[in-house]
Amino acid sequence: MSTTLPGKELAQELEAQSRRQELRTPMERVIEAAASNSLTEDQFFRLTGQLWALNRMFYYVYGAWGSSLTINQYPPSVDYLFAKQVYDDSTHEMLYSQAILQRGWVKFQRSALRHPYCQFTPASGIGLYVFSMRGLANYDHNLRMAAMNLGPKVLELSWLERLGEAIQDEYLAKLFSSQVPETRSHVLMGRFTVERFVAEQVDADLCRMLVPMARADYVTALTGIADFVLNESTSS
Amino acid sequence: MPTLRIDHDKCTECRMCLLACEEIGINAVYMELEPRHRFEIDVHKCTYPTCVVCIMYCPAPGSIVEDETGRSLVPPPPDLWRDRPKKWLRDAILVPKER
Repeated sequence: MSTTLPGKELAQELEAQSRRQELRTPMERVIEAAASNSLTEDQFFRLTGQLWALNRMFYYVYGAWGSSLTINQYPPSVDYLFAKQVYDDSTHEMLYSQAILQRGWVKFQRSALRHPYCQFTPASGIGLYVFSMRGLANYDHNLRMAAMNLGPKVLELSWLERLGEAIQDEYLAKLFSSQVPETRSHVLMGRFTVERFVAEQVDADLCRMLVPMARADYVTALTGIADFVLNESTSS
Repeated sequence: MPTLRIDHDKCTECRMCLLACEEIGINAVYMELEPRHRFEIDVHKCTYPTCVVCIMYCPAPGSIVEDETGRSLVPPPPDLWRDRPKKWLRDAILVPKER
C-alpha cells in the first residue's frame, strides 16, 4: 500500500533546522565541565534538581494539551503516541526524583520538593519555557507536537546523549543515557505527526513559526539551568 | 515461512509491538542494545503469519515489513485477514505458551 506523506519535506526541514543548533546550546558548558570531571556533587544535585523541576511541570503542560484533544479528531495512533510521550516524560521525572533520593542529596521526597535546588520558579528560564509550552494548548495537536518534538526534543536528545557519555560517575551517566531511546522516539513521533498530519499551507506556516519559537524558549530554559549549575546565578 | 522485520526509517520506536508481543507471550520483539537501542524481531520466536498482533497494533504505517517480499504490512493488507485460518487466535496465543 502506498502512503502519501504531505508533510515529509517540512518534517525534514524542521528537524534539520534544530539539528543545526544542537551543538550550540548552553548545556555545552555543563557537558564540558562533566567531561573534565570538574562538576561537584552539589552541582550534579543542582542539575538533577532543576531538570526534575522542569519535568514535573510537564504534567501541567500535557494536561492542557490532553484536555483540548477531542474524540476522533485524529486517528487512535496519534492519541496513543501522545499518551506514550506523557508516560515517558513521567518516567523521566521519576528517574530524576529517584536519583535525588538514591544519591542521598535529600532524605525524603517531601524534603526534595522543598529544597531550593528542586523548586520551580515562575520567573525563570524554565518558567518561560513551561508557560510557552502550555500556551501551545491553543494550537492544534499536530502543530504543538511538531513544535515540541522537532524543536526542543531534538536539542534535548543531543545533549542527553553527550552528557551521558561525558559523565564519569556510572550512576549519573546512566541516569541521562537511559532517557535517550525515549527522547529519540519523541523526535520520531514529531516527524511522524508532521509527515502525516500537516497538509495545509497554513499549518506548515504555523509549524515554521512555532518550532523556532519553542526551540528559543527551550534554549532560555537551558541557559538558566546551566548558569545555575555552574554557580553563575543563584536561581535558574 | 515468511518473516518480519522493522523498517527503522518508518518506526517511531513507540514500543507498542513489544508490549503486544509480550502480552500474548510470544516475546519475539526485543530491544537490540547495540548500536542504538532499537526494536528488532527475533525470527526464531516470531510466529508470523500465524500471529499478526504487532501489525495490528502498530500506529506507524510502513513500520513492519515482510522481509522476503519487502511489502509493508502496516496497516494490515486484506489478504492477511482473508487467508487466515479460523483458529489463528488459539494458535497465536496458546501454542507459544505451551512450548
